[in-house]
Amino acid sequence: MREQLIHNLRAAYARLWVRVKGGNREPQWLIAEMIIPILTLSAYIYMYKTLEAPPAFAGFVIIGGTMIAFWANVLWNMSAQFYWEKETGNLEIYFVTPISRMAILLGMALGGIVNTILRAAAIMVAGILVFQVPLVINEPFTALLMFFLTITALYALGMLFASLFLMYGREAWHTANLFQEPVHFLSGAYFPKSLLPDTVQLVASLIPLTFGLDGIRQIVILGKGFSDVWIDLVALTVFIIILLPLAKFALDYMENLGKKEGRLTLRWQ
Amino acid sequence: MAVNTVLRTVKQAIWVGWKVETNWADPFVFSIYYLIRPLAGLLIVGFVFIIGSSASGGQLSPEYFAFMFIGNSFFIYVSQIMMTMSMLIHDDRAHYEVMKHIYLAPGSLAWYILGRALNGVLNATVSLILTLGFGVAIFQGLMKVQIPINWLGIDFSLLLLNLVLGIVCFIAMGYILCGINIMTSKVQFMLTEYVSGILYLFGGVVFLPEILPQWGQTISNALPITYFLRIMRYAFLHQSPSVVEMDLLYLVLTMIATIIVGFGVFRIAMYKARRDGLIDKKEEY
Repeated sequence: MREQLIHNLRAAYARLWVRVKGGNREPQWLIAEMIIPILTLSAYIYMYKTLEAPPAFAGFVIIGGTMIAFWANVLWNMSAQFYWEKETGNLEIYFVTPISRMAILLGMALGGIVNTILRAAAIMVAGILVFQVPLVINEPFTALLMFFLTITALYALGMLFASLFLMYGREAWHTANLFQEPVHFLSGAYFPKSLLPDTVQLVASLIPLTFGLDGIRQIVILGKGFSDVWIDLVALTVFIIILLPLAKFALDYMENLGKKEGRLTLRWQ
Repeated sequence: MAVNTVLRTVKQAIWVGWKVETNWADPFVFSIYYLIRPLAGLLIVGFVFIIGSSASGGQLSPEYFAFMFIGNSFFIYVSQIMMTMSMLIHDDRAHYEVMKHIYLAPGSLAWYILGRALNGVLNATVSLILTLGFGVAIFQGLMKVQIPINWLGIDFSLLLLNLVLGIVCFIAMGYILCGINIMTSKVQFMLTEYVSGILYLFGGVVFLPEILPQWGQTISNALPITYFLRIMRYAFLHQSPSVVEMDLLYLVLTMIATIIVGFGVFRIAMYKARRDGLIDKKEEY
């Protein structure tokens, strides 16, 4: 049991190392991942400026743009990852090694978090400096807790998607593409979600990013505390409790289905 | 090259592009896919407009909403053409490994790329029509936001002329991306995002470029999309901060410059790619 745990942790570390090394070896990728989100969020900030909205809205956009970096990482480097691995011929190697698939996903998630924190921090600092957005953080530990729960819930969702995408061919690519702008809209990445219509908010509540964004904005931009955001913290905890076991179940199920249908090594679907 | 061969190459490339981009799903799922993403983009700017207007305590400005609605909707052409042309080289060379066969075929690679780009234009047109329809239904029908567009009063001849000039321009930009992708590897995603991001920010898509700093306005004035969107708004709304004939002239001038740069970059890239053996270069697949 202990030996198996160590084995899996070593596999997770190995996958994390590959992710960190691979994600940072091309400086042009690193720079692009920092600059490109700033272009889009700048457009929305200028739109708010045109409308003469209060400066806090620029802060909402910057926090939204920062957290979207994590969502993009979850979509492309977690959810669609097994599709890429299948196309490059690595997937079968993962499956024949004597380790848990969840260890591989854990390594991918941790590596993705390390990489994205670097990029997200750069986006946030650049956004705050360029657009002079004041931060009002009265409870830094609550902010950290909110951030930790948000990314844990997001990567748990990524693990679930990775399992579901396991069998996909080009659908994986298109589905990941499809989950960009609609999720940015529903989660209120560029405006407070509380101002969306009730039915839209109901749909948005199925996405962990919605609660994470709302909570982080309240703490970091509006200077609120634990008593104001506890509902967001509870919702994110519930997401984590549900999503992690569900991801494990989905992974086992899809792997078996893939074996039966002979689709685990199928390329160019 | 014989005209027949060119036409056949372009036609077949459009057909291949259509198959590659659509046959992963049934037509209904495919239509949803081509509607949801651009519609969500429109909903984002629509809600930024509504929420920003109410937060500032001002009245909703239907003119500004229409400005943003037209700009964001027609930006679909830019994002779709850039995406199609940037991914093309990577997909055909590294992923499906068919680039060498296309290169050896009687039709030229440049015409094949044009055909694939035109397929991107077709897809963008489907997306645009669906987005305009659903956008009007959601904002005007459900949310009661007035969009002052007289759909029967659209200047269709100006719209079509502008559309053709704009599309030629965006395809020429796409050839620059193809040239860069032939010479490099693994930059296709970031190229698309860079170009789309820069054009979105500086092209006056959702706000007037006059609000940008001076250096930003200079960039905006050099971009064909700025004039493309101004003319498009004139065709729909009959309002423009400048004279539409001058905008047409600037669009034609920037289009000619883009074509010269685009095909120059592409030709040099193809020459170097053949010399350095990059046409069948393998990547991670």
